[in-house]
Amino acid sequence: MIEQLLQDASRRQRRATGVAILLAVLAAVAGVGLLAVSGWFLTGAAIAGASGVAAARGFNYLLPSAGIRAFAIVRTLGRYGERLFSHRAAFFALADVRPALFARLAAAEPEAVFSRPSGQVAAQLGSDVDALEDSVVRRVTLPGALAGGVTALVACLFAGLWSGVALGVGLAGMRLVSRTLTPKLIAGPVHRRADAVTRLKSAYAEYAACAVEISAYGLVPQIVEAMAPDVEELEASRLAIVNAEATTQGLQLILAALTVAGVLVLAKGGAALAAAAALAGAAGAEAWSGLTRTDVQRPRVDDAMTRLEDMASLPARAPQHAELEQLSAEPVTLEADGRECVVQPGERVLITGASGAGKSRILGTILGLRSDAPQRVFVGEAEVRELGLETLRRVFGNAPQDASLIAGTVADNLRLARQGVTEAQMWEALKVACLADTVRALPHGLDQWLGADGARLSGGQRKRLSVARALLSGRPWLVLDEPSEGLDSVTEQELAKNLDRWLEDTRTGLILVSHRQGLHSLTGASFTL
Amino acid sequence: MTFSQAVPAISATDQPRARRKVGAAALWWLSDSGGAILFAGCLALVLQGWVSGTMSNATLTVLLAGIVASGMLRAGAQGMAGIAGQRQAIGIKQNLRTRLLAALLPTGLVRGRLIGEDLHVVVDDVEAYEGLIARFEPLKLAAVLSPLLIACVVAFASWVSALIMIATLIPFGVGMAFAGLAGKAEAERQLQALSRLSGLFVDRVATLPVILSFGAEDRVTRQIGEAAREVASRTMQVLRIAFLSSAVLEFFAALCVALIAVYCGFSLLGLLPFPAPEALTLGRAFFALALAPEFYLGMRRMAAAYHDKQQGEAADASIAEALGKAESRPGPDPVPASCVVQNLAVVNLEVAYADTRIGPFTALWEGPGLHAVAGPTGVGKSSLLHALIGMAPDMAGTVLLNGAPVAPVSLVERVGWAGQKPLLLPGTLEDNLKLGGGVDADLLPLIEACGLSDLLRERGMHLAIDPRGSGLSGGERRRIGLVRAIASGRPILLLDEPTADLDAVTARKVIDLIARTARDRLVIAATHDARLVAQSASVMTLS
Repeated sequence: MIEQLLQDASRRQRRATGVAILLAVLAAVAGVGLLAVSGWFLTGAAIAGASGVAAARGFNYLLPSAGIRAFAIVRTLGRYGERLFSHRAAFFALADVRPALFARLAAAEPEAVFSRPSGQVAAQLGSDVDALEDSVVRRVTLPGALAGGVTALVACLFAGLWSGVALGVGLAGMRLVSRTLTPKLIAGPVHRRADAVTRLKSAYAEYAACAVEISAYGLVPQIVEAMAPDVEELEASRLAIVNAEATTQGLQLILAALTVAGVLVLAKGGAALAAAAALAGAAGAEAWSGLTRTDVQRPRVDDAMTRLEDMASLPARAPQHAELEQLSAEPVTLEADGRECVVQPGERVLITGASGAGKSRILGTILGLRSDAPQRVFVGEAEVRELGLETLRRVFGNAPQDASLIAGTVADNLRLARQGVTEAQMWEALKVACLADTVRALPHGLDQWLGADGARLSGGQRKRLSVARALLSGRPWLVLDEPSEGLDSVTEQELAKNLDRWLEDTRTGLILVSHRQGLHSLTGASFTL
Repeated sequence: MTFSQAVPAISATDQPRARRKVGAAALWWLSDSGGAILFAGCLALVLQGWVSGTMSNATLTVLLAGIVASGMLRAGAQGMAGIAGQRQAIGIKQNLRTRLLAALLPTGLVRGRLIGEDLHVVVDDVEAYEGLIARFEPLKLAAVLSPLLIACVVAFASWVSALIMIATLIPFGVGMAFAGLAGKAEAERQLQALSRLSGLFVDRVATLPVILSFGAEDRVTRQIGEAAREVASRTMQVLRIAFLSSAVLEFFAALCVALIAVYCGFSLLGLLPFPAPEALTLGRAFFALALAPEFYLGMRRMAAAYHDKQQGEAADASIAEALGKAESRPGPDPVPASCVVQNLAVVNLEVAYADTRIGPFTALWEGPGLHAVAGPTGVGKSSLLHALIGMAPDMAGTVLLNGAPVAPVSLVERVGWAGQKPLLLPGTLEDNLKLGGGVDADLLPLIEACGLSDLLRERGMHLAIDPRGSGLSGGERRRIGLVRAIASGRPILLLDEPTADLDAVTARKVIDLIARTARDRLVIAATHDARLVAQSASVMTLS
């Protein structure tokens, strides 16, 4: 699944990737060519110079010296362009993967999503997707390395078949060693390190919750000691990773040197060609060993892929109920312990119960965001759990207890309610929610940036913004969880009056949870959990 | 009296001792250049011998062995450079982490920061800081020294080639300085966009329930896509400049090779358009040519570690900010241990959190004796206890000890604390009970008195405690905290819901124990247990 997402995203960057591959090939050919021609030219010149003035004058220096300059320019521009285009392709492909993953998350069954800590999910959208960068850039690295290797091979073949064979064997050996050895050496420590980081974080969170005892009894040294094993494991595994990288990259260097020595020993056809072959071999092997980086990254990429696969392969939730229109006109029935409460469309009900009795839980179940309420709730004949979120969210407008404002402006929050909310409608809703004056007094009015979770507003103001948002959603039922929390009783009375008129005018039903007396006048029936 | 302070800026990297030792890794990077010199020397001698036809098989073998040895030398040097850098970083990370733990752990409540934010600094930022010490710093030093080393060695073979190398360095320096200046502002803008994006992920995932309930996920997905693409294009802006400076580097590296090849070639041909400044042989010329790419290698490596530098510096800033805020708080000015606690009082004490204000509270608690703070859940009982010892982000009002005003934080060392979720550390049960001091205290009567003796009989005093999955119930854990607080021998005990999670029989025992303890100490308990309230000399009811 994540493979598919990544491929779709990469396909859109086909052109940039193509250009990057072309430039990578050019740069690699030019890089090897530069050294090979330089070596050949230099040695040829020395031989010609030693053979006397006539030979020196007869030596064609124009072509190789022009070649050297051309290769130098092509290599420079090629590498610059390769980097630019390969990174552009990678970053924009990953920029498409993130919303695609978020869309999968948002299309899944809500309980499957909310069972994951939100910080962890956010980190996956961030750092795990970042870790895929290498797998995208790899599409360019490989052709570049291949081109460098092939150019070196051609240069070696000029110095005889056996020279070429030596290079071929050498390059194959380098690849073989890196592919087989690197994952074995790296994967273990990479996992150990990730585990140690996780343990350290959970230990810190555990201890930080006991700040008072740590402070009162001066326990920092004990905590440092308690965390020491995980810290040591972290650093030891990090060092093991560095060691493994040193080993794999070191083996590449040694194999490259052996290869160059082999190319030199087996070279035929004179010193000039041997020099070209040796330098080309060295440059080709260096380009080739760049592939080791990919092997080193692989365990990290694989881990990230596994975690993201888990997110990408979440099954989509059930589609909406066929007779949505009709459901809107059905009564809502609450049922618990054999008691039943039927609320006709446009009517109102207050759900009461002691704290911890599960008031927010039954509201979450009505809204389709969870399914763990022990009571049963029906819309018409259908139990809400059969209907599912897709249907329920078109029936009920939600103002949750924690307000749940998104980081953005006042208008951003209100626009969440539905598509195409006009400014006039926003002001109207704010007026009903007793927040219009407050918003008008903000320096940027509706466009005032509120910060994360509406940080600029007080608790009561946040609640009312959340109520205004629910009003704008235009659903047949309004579900309000403690809407007047944090309000003084004068404002609360006004809110009750406004809501009463609004519900009447729009013929909207109300399901209310509120422990404050002020709003109880709104509702007729009440249902105790 | 208010307790908030200004925050002076400090740097996390004020560690001169550590800085000096960076040399080890840099020296290994330099010996990598030594390997390159060996390779170039052997290759040049092989070709020289080949052309002159005077090379014996033994010499050839030695020289080929030299080429292989150069590979080993470079492999070893590069590997050791990485390891030495990492070892260096381990020491620095260790110190930094310890310092962060000491500064952040006890003050989380005071600074009003989320545990997650502190955790990110202590773990992730310290990890991100590593690359700066382990890789970038040594490479930076090597990038200055290795070109000098290469040029010096080349000068012995061909001083003109060495001069060509140095000459290409001057325009290169100018180009890099220009690119560096332009890059800084772009890099800052990119970092901002990046942190906005990760903030957006955190926010939209956290608010996903309302997004889903309004069916707004398509709009939010589009918004995330736009933000992600904005970060991508900002990142490309930064990289364009970084790659441009790399290209400048590459250009001069290539130019250096080309100029040396052409100069040496024409010199060997005897076709230089000016009088030959030196007598070149193939060996000397080839040696210079083979080392020409190495001249720029150090700088290319440093440029490749740019990401380590950027991340490390961002982490450094974040660590310094956290340390600055935590360490600038005044330490406790402890109340002398000889001071007998007669009474504790608060006058108009107000505690402010991000958006709520609790209080004002006024109370007088006479010691010795048991006093209750009662009221419904969430009304601020715990916050009041925290505020008594200065564990709140912002507060106003006065705390009085024996009638004299005292900074709340000074009381911290005179207080035994038993909270909702007491601290457990890896070790035995006994170790955990004695964490509050009281090494000589006789624990057995206390354990007996609060009904923990079953636990003791079953599993013993040396029961190993693992804070994760301790196998202890919430009530057992709570009583461990209580025994610890009583055993600490501190004259003031602050207890937060000491009888919660306990069955009636055990709660009775615990209440008796608390009442006995209160005969010679000042005990303040936040509770809504009527039996505990009934035993108290005074009750303060919050609403």
